[in-house]
Amino acid sequence: MKDNTMTNPKISAKGVQVHYGDTHAIKDVNVEIADKTVTAFIGPSGCGKSTFLRCINRMNDTIDICRVTGDIRIDGEDIYDAKVDPVQLRAKVGMVFQKPNPFPKSIYDNVAYGPKIHGLARNKAELDEIVEKSLRKAALWNEAKDRLQAPGTGLSGGQQQRLCIARAIATAPEILLMDEPCSALDPIATAQVEELIDELQKSFSVVIVTHSMQQAARVSQKTAFFHLGNLVEFDDTDKIFTNPEDPRTESYISGRIG
Amino acid sequence: MSQHISSAYDRDLEHIQTLVMKMGGMVEAAIMSAAKSLETRDTALAEKVRAADKQIDAIELQINEEAARTIALRAPVSKDLRAILTVLRIAASLERIGDYAKNMAKRTGTLVDMPQIDGSDAALRRMAREVQAMLKDMLDAYLRRDVKLAEDVRQRDHEVDQMYNALFREFLTFMMEDPRNITTCMHLHFMAKNVERMGDLVTNMAEQVIYLVTGEMPEEARQKGDKTSFITDLDESK
Repeated sequence: MKDNTMTNPKISAKGVQVHYGDTHAIKDVNVEIADKTVTAFIGPSGCGKSTFLRCINRMNDTIDICRVTGDIRIDGEDIYDAKVDPVQLRAKVGMVFQKPNPFPKSIYDNVAYGPKIHGLARNKAELDEIVEKSLRKAALWNEAKDRLQAPGTGLSGGQQQRLCIARAIATAPEILLMDEPCSALDPIATAQVEELIDELQKSFSVVIVTHSMQQAARVSQKTAFFHLGNLVEFDDTDKIFTNPEDPRTESYISGRIG
Repeated sequence: MSQHISSAYDRDLEHIQTLVMKMGGMVEAAIMSAAKSLETRDTALAEKVRAADKQIDAIELQINEEAARTIALRAPVSKDLRAILTVLRIAASLERIGDYAKNMAKRTGTLVDMPQIDGSDAALRRMAREVQAMLKDMLDAYLRRDVKLAEDVRQRDHEVDQMYNALFREFLTFMMEDPRNITTCMHLHFMAKNVERMGDLVTNMAEQVIYLVTGEMPEEARQKGDKTSFITDLDESK
């Protein structure tokens, strides 16, 4: 695979291996991800792309049989170091999931929850400000400002997903991980989230797992193709979709067998 | 290349490829018939070339429509996308070659009543045969995704250019010898120029085949053989 090392990567992974019990889910993945870019992880189901994504904020720690080895650094700091508090790490590395999963609370409380537990606001006014800013950034403010006390679960699917994005960015993260954020959304809501991703990359490094090749092509600058636990190819999105190096990438993106 | 998971996608691409090959075959025939009709003063054959051009144009239209449909419905990427882009450009070049052949056939209709210029009809036919052979190989290279053969075709355009240079000088000589040859020579020269342009178009298509396979246009310069732009008069040109 092409050498993609860079100076001062936001995220750097070296020799990452993941085992689920006896299953070898990620095999020696090496990758560097730049700040303020959108990176797409693509690959068939079970290829390891979501597993690898979940290594970046130590979500895999919550699974007993999951064992992660190798070196993952954010701004040069080892995130698997014993001194690192996973809860603090996840405030810095936000995550949005496939199915919108707002808390069974009001819209306001959904967004205010993170800043509250991390003590990011000194008073109500500051908290209000964070909530408004996050909802604005998530392009939900205009739709939600008149019903901030209404339950988050009462929103439409696309709105719920944007609420989850607002919740993820309320803790002022540096990295946003998105695991198929649009797979439960209709094309309009998908377009809105994609537009949002484009906006968010000005502030964060965004890593998105997607099954939609078109989505990867539309939103990302870099694309990583995973296959059977290997990172097969990592390159500029343009290159991956016009002239990939590896025949396995070519087969996958053009919808071929093999 | 392995099959698509959607077999209908493969069928669409194959269908377009079949149309290109069919169009290519018709254009090959048009080139040879146009040259032959001149040499044998066969106006009926010339008329056939003119009529067949309508069919060539119709196939180009069909290829364009099928390609647009495939882009809209299948969103092709990488090699598949290059295959579609290549098809569009090849079809456009073939259509142009068809037009040149038709133009030759028109001039044949005019030339039948004029005196023949020694050897020039045969020379034109040799030139046309060379271009037709290049076209045939280009189509084979396209079908087999054969970069080596495409590169070979690309280099052979030089020979066509040299044949054109030689004819250009020959026509100049005939016109200087006897002004009554001028009209005939002018027509013949346009025909030679048509064949020379056909060679250029085949070369472009061969480059397109290289792009299709490798994803990159060939960079290495090829020999440019058409020197007629710099010829002032015969003395200097010798």
